[in-house]
Amino acid sequence: MSIRFALIGNPNCGKTSLFNRLTGARAKVANYPGVTVERRSGPISDLAEPAELLDLPGTYSLFVTSPDEQVARDIILGKIAGETKPDVLIAVIDATNLRLGLRLVMELKTLNRPMILALNQMDAARSRGITINTAGLAREIGMPVIETVAVNRHGTDELRKVLAEFAVNHAKNPLADDTQTLSLNQIDELSRDDSIEALYHQIENIMQEHVVQPVDLPRWQERLDSVVMHPVLGLVVLFTILMVVFQAVFAWASPVVDLIDAGFTFLGDAVSTGMPDGILKDFIVQGLIAGLGSVIVFLPQIVILFFFILVLEDTGYLTRAAFLLDRPMRGLGISGRSFIPLLSSFACAVPGIMSTRSISDPRERFITIMIAPLMTCSARLPVYALIIAAFIPEQTVWGIFNLQGLTLFALYFAGVVSAAIVALIMRRNQTREHYPLLLELPSYRWPMAYHLLMGLKERVWIFLRRVGTIILALSIILWVLVTFPGAPADATRPAIEYSFAGQLGALMQYLFAPLGFSWQMCIALIPAMAAREVAVSALATVYAVGGDNVDAALGTALGQEWNLPVALAYLAWFVYAPQCISTIAVVKRETNSAKATVWFTLYLFALAYFAAWATYTIASWLV
Amino acid sequence: MNSAVVPNIAIASAIPAKTVSLRLDECRKGAQVRIVDLQPQALFGSQDECVTLRLKELGFLPGAPLKIIGFGLLGSDPLAVQVNGTKFALRRAEAAKIRVELISGSH
Repeated sequence: MSIRFALIGNPNCGKTSLFNRLTGARAKVANYPGVTVERRSGPISDLAEPAELLDLPGTYSLFVTSPDEQVARDIILGKIAGETKPDVLIAVIDATNLRLGLRLVMELKTLNRPMILALNQMDAARSRGITINTAGLAREIGMPVIETVAVNRHGTDELRKVLAEFAVNHAKNPLADDTQTLSLNQIDELSRDDSIEALYHQIENIMQEHVVQPVDLPRWQERLDSVVMHPVLGLVVLFTILMVVFQAVFAWASPVVDLIDAGFTFLGDAVSTGMPDGILKDFIVQGLIAGLGSVIVFLPQIVILFFFILVLEDTGYLTRAAFLLDRPMRGLGISGRSFIPLLSSFACAVPGIMSTRSISDPRERFITIMIAPLMTCSARLPVYALIIAAFIPEQTVWGIFNLQGLTLFALYFAGVVSAAIVALIMRRNQTREHYPLLLELPSYRWPMAYHLLMGLKERVWIFLRRVGTIILALSIILWVLVTFPGAPADATRPAIEYSFAGQLGALMQYLFAPLGFSWQMCIALIPAMAAREVAVSALATVYAVGGDNVDAALGTALGQEWNLPVALAYLAWFVYAPQCISTIAVVKRETNSAKATVWFTLYLFALAYFAAWATYTIASWLV
Repeated sequence: MNSAVVPNIAIASAIPAKTVSLRLDECRKGAQVRIVDLQPQALFGSQDECVTLRLKELGFLPGAPLKIIGFGLLGSDPLAVQVNGTKFALRRAEAAKIRVELISGSH
């Protein structure tokens, strides 16, 4: 069996960028971006012997206070079923934050596992005037100490060399005790207290002996914090950033969106003219090109949204936002710690819900999971974008804002406000046990292009894989449903009304008639359960029957078929529901409760139904 | 004998009067303080011992110098502090556990 290394270190020490460097393009990265909560592993590139690298969630201590710290500890101890413990630990320390990192290293050392220490961000440390005698440090703590700079292509070469040596030795004589689990010494709290002081005493000596560092943080960092963390200015900065992000998603993406759209239209036209009429041509043009094209078109917007989230996370800004929002959010029974999971949920609720594992308070974690899907995820963006483009005029209001952008913002805002109300209601039966915030505010850092690219690549890949699998399959099924059975020879109404889809839609319409939904809209809701963005291709399939254009044509078709109240009601429906199946599955896994999952599904459905009904009723009355 | 004891008591009670210790949540922005010790906090209930230990693990140890960087908007909560070169956000409940003495700045 090949050697297994695991990266362990404090949150924000740059473990994940190191992981990306070491595994490179060959990494089999987990599905989710941002916070490393799920298992990420991959083969280390450019080693003679095969070696596996595991990226563990960030942790401060083996005495855990949150579910993700527990995952990290249990993997190291070999306590997780089906997961043999790593052969060698690579402890990662942010060289600009030595004491905190060294404490964890000293604690890990008591486990007596083979260890390597990586002093990461050595470039930042040097420019701050921090000098570390690595040879002396290595002698003192009894393990190899290697400087790394994850920002540089060659910044990990030396570490790779050391890993190669370990791999060669491992291949010669593998350790025999791989399956044995370790246990922490049963330290009672009194002696744990003593050992903390003793460890820090030891660290102080090491620092005195081998490290020279200036007392103060760089001036620009202090100045930036005095603005960004200012109680009033900080909030202005925060809301400006959020506004810019939402405007960018809509405005910057549109040239690329238009280009992709034109490409698919061209492809559809080419196939139409080049193929003989018949069922196959119909399948390729209506089923495949129209179905997939209408979803791929939204890739640029998703990329832009993830880009901003990754940048904000990488720079260290997100924890400042959590600091600013802690008090207001606490009024809702959640805290600043919930901010990052909730923000990730704007990209996708699945990684958002998984990253709630960093929340120590179980009650707060539960509320965060329940409201995470109310943050508008990127899969809803295609639906919003389509309907907004078709029904909201493109005009400028108040000189700077685009009315379409504002509508989009309003939809996001509706989700956030609803989340706040739901949280407030849930808080009513909360126990009054307090949990600490204790949030580290990492130093600001320039975002790293390579790391951003890896993160974005991951997102694009997941999106395209969905297009190629789930969305492709659903497009085909839908095409079958709208095509068969064909209309009878003496048909007086459009062919689609005779199809399976037409019949199913007619049935669903009984339930959805009070919301003003047509049967075509009802059909689109079914595949949207699997992936929300498929609603767009479903509408394309249902309406584009007979046409050969993709997105612009769909917008025009909707403009003719729907009136404004119906369009708004459909938007309102999507603010709350339909919950996609993967979200429901992750809620089940993270809460481990069938009752909570059923409650979660029902409450969102009821909310969606009510919101769409209210929107339809009020808008009909106004228009 | 008695007369010899009384002055000793007077001296003993005079020492804390010179190095006034206060709770971290009573300090002003920009104050530089030194941690004296960590006190129990009833709000955390059964968690309290764990909170104390975690604070210590993060470097909030007696003797450590600490700087108050700033406060949140509502009720000056949470606090941002810097200890051992690392910045942390603490709520008033955690901050109230930490007894400090002033090095510079007012409280």
